[in-house]
Amino acid sequence: MADKQFKKKISDALDNNVLRGALGRFGDTYITAREKAYEGYDFPSIRENIVKVKSYAASHLDEMIDQFEKAATARGAKVFRAATGEDVKKYISELAKRQGVKHIVKSKSMASEEILLNKALMAEGIDVQETDLGEWILQLAGQHPSHMVMPAIHMTKEEVADIFSGHLQRLSQPVITELVKTARVELRKKFLEADMGISGANMAIAETGTLMMVTNEGNARLTSTLPRVHVFLVGIEKLVPKFEDATHILQALPRSATAQQITSYVTMVTGPTPAYYEDGSVKDKEFHIILMDNGRRKMYNDPKFKKTFQCIRCASCLNVCPAFQLVGGHVYGHIYTGGIGTILTNFLNSENDAKNPQNLCLQCGKCAEVCPGNLDIPEMILELRNRMGEKQGLPFTQKFALDVVSNRRLFHSLLRVASKAQKPFTKGQPVIRHLPLFLSGMTEKKSLPAVADIPFRDVFKTIKQDVKKPKGKIAFYSGCLIDFVYPRIGEGVISALNEKGYEVVFPEGQSCCGAPATYMGDRTNARKLAIMNIEALNAESVDYVVSACPTCTHALKDSFQELVEDDPGLAARAAELSRKSFDFSKLLSDLGGLEPGGDGVPLKVTYHDSCHLKRKMGVYAEQRKLLSDTAGVELIEMKESDRCCGFAGSYSIKFPELSEPILERKLNNIEATRAKVVAVDCPGCLMQISGGLDKRNPNIKVVHTAELLFEKRKKNSKKN
Amino acid sequence: MANARSAELYDGFKAKLEAVSGECYRVETEEEAGKLIGTILKDKGVQNVALLEGEVSKKGNFAQQLKFMNIDVMSDNFRKVTPDAQAGITQVSYAIAELGTLVQADDDANVDQRLCSTLVPIHVAVIRTEKLLPSLAETMSTIHRLPRIPGFVGFITGPSRTSDIERVLTIGVHGPQQLIVVFVD
Repeated sequence: MADKQFKKKISDALDNNVLRGALGRFGDTYITAREKAYEGYDFPSIRENIVKVKSYAASHLDEMIDQFEKAATARGAKVFRAATGEDVKKYISELAKRQGVKHIVKSKSMASEEILLNKALMAEGIDVQETDLGEWILQLAGQHPSHMVMPAIHMTKEEVADIFSGHLQRLSQPVITELVKTARVELRKKFLEADMGISGANMAIAETGTLMMVTNEGNARLTSTLPRVHVFLVGIEKLVPKFEDATHILQALPRSATAQQITSYVTMVTGPTPAYYEDGSVKDKEFHIILMDNGRRKMYNDPKFKKTFQCIRCASCLNVCPAFQLVGGHVYGHIYTGGIGTILTNFLNSENDAKNPQNLCLQCGKCAEVCPGNLDIPEMILELRNRMGEKQGLPFTQKFALDVVSNRRLFHSLLRVASKAQKPFTKGQPVIRHLPLFLSGMTEKKSLPAVADIPFRDVFKTIKQDVKKPKGKIAFYSGCLIDFVYPRIGEGVISALNEKGYEVVFPEGQSCCGAPATYMGDRTNARKLAIMNIEALNAESVDYVVSACPTCTHALKDSFQELVEDDPGLAARAAELSRKSFDFSKLLSDLGGLEPGGDGVPLKVTYHDSCHLKRKMGVYAEQRKLLSDTAGVELIEMKESDRCCGFAGSYSIKFPELSEPILERKLNNIEATRAKVVAVDCPGCLMQISGGLDKRNPNIKVVHTAELLFEKRKKNSKKN
Repeated sequence: MANARSAELYDGFKAKLEAVSGECYRVETEEEAGKLIGTILKDKGVQNVALLEGEVSKKGNFAQQLKFMNIDVMSDNFRKVTPDAQAGITQVSYAIAELGTLVQADDDANVDQRLCSTLVPIHVAVIRTEKLLPSLAETMSTIHRLPRIPGFVGFITGPSRTSDIERVLTIGVHGPQQLIVVFVD
């Protein structure tokens, strides 16, 4: 759980209108600008190529390093392998001393930020100058970057003008073109007097010993042209096997990072190049390359994190992250920010530093969708969360709630008690707070549903299934929300599947899918629930298992398998369950959809995509077709339909201050469509969005696809 | 056929370059190139220029033509002159139609090539039209096929730019504020 100090940082960031403004503007335009930059290019195949070359380099790391060293040395470079940041600092300090270096210019290097190189060199009395405009502003302000690609995105022109005025002892006006001009003039002097340049690289080519830099301002060109000594500081993850492999990364990096077709400059340096010396002579420069480990190997040797080698540091994961967009980079606390930053911090700084920021991940998966390196960042964050949970244990209240949930009888009887006890309060003070944590978000802007009078497991017994000559049998996995809060969704599911000629059974022994435990880092309880459900659902006895909650479906299809992989008997059963499990809309669509029908009464419907259904299962067209095929339904697409609604299970309780603005954006997009109904396929999204609309615009209803189909068609059958 | 192909590549290049605030021209002879450059620089009020002589500029008598138009031509001692020169003229090795990108890939990693194209506020790049390559991928393989990868390979796409303050695009940071490309058939 996030600690107090961390919470304070979040509230400060949320109160910072400047930050919200700049990040918000960028986030709003980034997604469409990125799409435009990729127009005419096949992102999945570019991504596949990147994965191919980077994963090859990752699994042949020693070979890559040897090859690179050999090739670079053959061209006259001096290559140093640094195990730690301390080794790097020592090497550069000694080199600077040996070469009589007084002035250093740096072009952007996150690796140098990571080890606080400037501080060490300045302590030696050397003048160190950042030359990337954003980095220079931060250096003058004494801050760290808040974003890998746009380090000073959190600052306004007014703040920059103040910083310049203070530094230059003359007034700078807050006019961006003037500020840029000032930077050009001031830094030009530094470039011309520098005797050492330090730069990072975006790629290091093993085959040729070439270093590549992708930049816009021209500072990397000057850094590698003017000073007589040049040091490249490169993390070992920058290695790429062949020269032409760089093509794939060059195709993706500018498009994903800043939505450019290509940056103004791409600079490729192979070995020392000629430079002017003070006496006016032109000779090859003193040229050093430092390949830095600093915790990276440990990360790449970890099977769950090996893929981080495929990261090309474009920061598109930050740009699409709903949480990052609200709080910015500094809340993450260390050099690397956002989702990928949390993982890097864990390995390159310390596990402790990643403890708070890992909580910020909503698990919405948008970052994984746009990642050119095909990293599943949310899965990795979840792995960190689980490891932390195992190591440190969860706080008592969380642990207690999860223990209750994993005891089916206790959990279910509590829910039944809740449905009675809430009666006097249902509006205003919902007793739903007795539910496990993931249901008990108390926020001002959201109302909560009541626990149903009769849970679905009891309703089920009263449903008459009229299926003549059934084609087969389907087990319905309801999940907690449908069982105890939204039983009507279950009725819709059964009606539709009956129409398709299937008999539906409800295995009584089923319980919570374990998602709350999984997402809070409690693998023990998650595993307990996985086994309970694998046994209860007994997939061997049915044709399909259907769920109408994508989070549950994801658990049935993927999480259970992972949780029991160490037990061959259970693993086989989990595999069978995974194979047979489908989310409602997907299964109904695979079975051929419904017969033409619907009451024909005009109804404007907009659709909200659940993160798990769209991104974990790739289901987004099926339910839209089911809805549009229903007479009367007019489907109107909302803006950002696949953007997270902010529920994210326990997230809305841990971070109501973040969950609320994320929800608000969703509500704005919904209202803009003028639809009367929001269709969803996830009961969690349903609860979140209807809770928000209930307070703000009660005329708009949120309905699960299964229930909407049921309602629209039931009326029809009455008429006939 | 060959002409139609090069026209197509040129048009593609021009559109891409103009989209990133670069200027693009095409002339038939070296002589015309010199004249065009002189006129453009005059128009921009340029009084002196750092000229790194190349095969095209020599053939086209750039130095003479520019001097004739009252532009001061500096063609050596570049480390001293480029920080204050108003413009720089260099010949580049390739251009990429797909992106509107110029490629500097001198075999000797000539430092003057870089000074004359980076320190000056206006960079005029001259290139043979036949050096226009269709795509990034083909450019990478062309460079790879050279006897060895040149010590310095620079891709240039438009003038230098930044969006580091408030995400507002501003042209001209450490590199040139203007980029003029002249193709010579």
